Amino acid sequence: MRLRTWAFCLNEANQNLLRNPVLAIASVTTTAISLLVLGVFLLLTVNVNAIATSVESQVAVRAFFAKNVPQSQETAELQTVRSWSQVRTATLVTKAQALAELKKEFGDQAKVLDSLGTANPLEDSLSVTAQKPQDVKVLATRLSHLDGVVHTTYQSAVVSRLFALINDIRVVGLAIGVLLLIGSLLVITNAIRLGMAARRREIAIMRLVGATESLVHWPFILEGLILGGIGAIVASGLAYWSYVAAYHNAVRSLPFLPLVAPSPVARDIALLLLVLGILLGAVGFRISVRRLARV
Amino acid sequence: MISVRRVTKEYPNGVVALQNVDLEIGKGEFVFLVGPSGAGKTTLLRLLFREEVPTSGSVMVNGHDVGRMRPRQIPYLRRQIGVVFQDFRLLPQRNVHENIAFALRVIEAHPREIKRRVSQVLELVGLSDRGHALPAQLSGGEQQRVALARAMVGRPVMLLADEPTGNLDPHNAEDMMRIMLEINRLGTTVVMATHAAHLVDRARQRVVAMEGGMIHRDELAASYHVEVNR
Repeated sequence: MRLRTWAFCLNEANQNLLRNPVLAIASVTTTAISLLVLGVFLLLTVNVNAIATSVESQVAVRAFFAKNVPQSQETAELQTVRSWSQVRTATLVTKAQALAELKKEFGDQAKVLDSLGTANPLEDSLSVTAQKPQDVKVLATRLSHLDGVVHTTYQSAVVSRLFALINDIRVVGLAIGVLLLIGSLLVITNAIRLGMAARRREIAIMRLVGATESLVHWPFILEGLILGGIGAIVASGLAYWSYVAAYHNAVRSLPFLPLVAPSPVARDIALLLLVLGILLGAVGFRISVRRLARV
Repeated sequence: MISVRRVTKEYPNGVVALQNVDLEIGKGEFVFLVGPSGAGKTTLLRLLFREEVPTSGSVMVNGHDVGRMRPRQIPYLRRQIGVVFQDFRLLPQRNVHENIAFALRVIEAHPREIKRRVSQVLELVGLSDRGHALPAQLSGGEQQRVALARAMVGRPVMLLADEPTGNLDPHNAEDMMRIMLEINRLGTTVVMATHAAHLVDRARQRVVAMEGGMIHRDELAASYHVEVNR
């Protein structure tokens, strides 16, 4: 199509929107809200993921030796473990050190341990941290196969609970987002259909005088793209700027939280919302187009 | 120009609007389609600009087999055909100039060309001074002349008119008739369905009379009714 024909189509689309401003505003608002909710949940997921990853990487695997294993063997095993590619740090914790740690952890209640007298029921152990969080399980298995190791532990409960939480957030967010997207799709479709009904005469005349079907369609495609696009711009702008603001606040007040910096992720999510919004408009037109054939 | 061969048109509701119709119309002819309501005049016109497809038989217009045309070719057929209806079908919120220009804008004509042709065609229908009026500000006769101008602005080789004077008073109807004869004189083939006996009688053009979906009379320089003592 020629440039002036695009201008013609854009003008027709605009007139449709102006003829029905309430519906246009409703379409833009629902699109913006649904995309915003989707964006918020995406950002939440990304962050909880990051927190979980950082927690998991700090989890140490402990491999406990049997009581009769000589110190020389334990040191040798320590050297072996340090040579593994998955290992970040590995240290030997003697039972004396372990008892001291335990006393420190007990703090005020350390007196309880006095009843043990000189006996130390604890065992020597290797404390190993992984290079990558996903290596933790593998490390635990490898350590359990070492000579003299009776059992291994790591704080799997914390990690698995965190991952369960991430999954819940992801599922709930997606479900709400998808439902809202369907809602806004219906509103956009309705806006386009009303436009078609209002322009029935014009469409009939366009066909009568030999307008191609694409020229008949384009004003409505543009209408969908404008509605979805404006909603998406609002949503992605809000998502982006509020994330940047929230991030800077959180970094100041909760510095220990390993939050994801906004620069790549918020921009990517804003772009994703923009694409989704435009897609909504296009799909809204696709749904309505069969109505157009009957006009 | 137009060649209708053994055309039957049956609508989905079972009504047979045309039965085995044969009709040949040459380039530059003026043809009246006459007959009572339900005779099949409108259906025949609608077949010519591919608003309907025949149930059987073939409809050739300007070398194209209209019934077997692909949907994407239809717009290009319609650019060669001007159509006028009894109810004008103007866009109420656009003025006269815009209504006529609309027909050229949607076929992507150049703005300069649009301006030139719209004023030419307004002159043809005698409405040069009404370009900025809205349809509601015009009389019925003027509105129909705008519709006629819109049909002619694309310079079609053929003009189809379905009861174009049906909503007009006798004076306006005669005006309309005069313009249509002028359009024909300038080389456009005209097919006009009408009940207006006095217009047909005065024009002395070819008359195709229909009844019950069939053509029962086809005469040159004829009148509305059969002339007994001819």
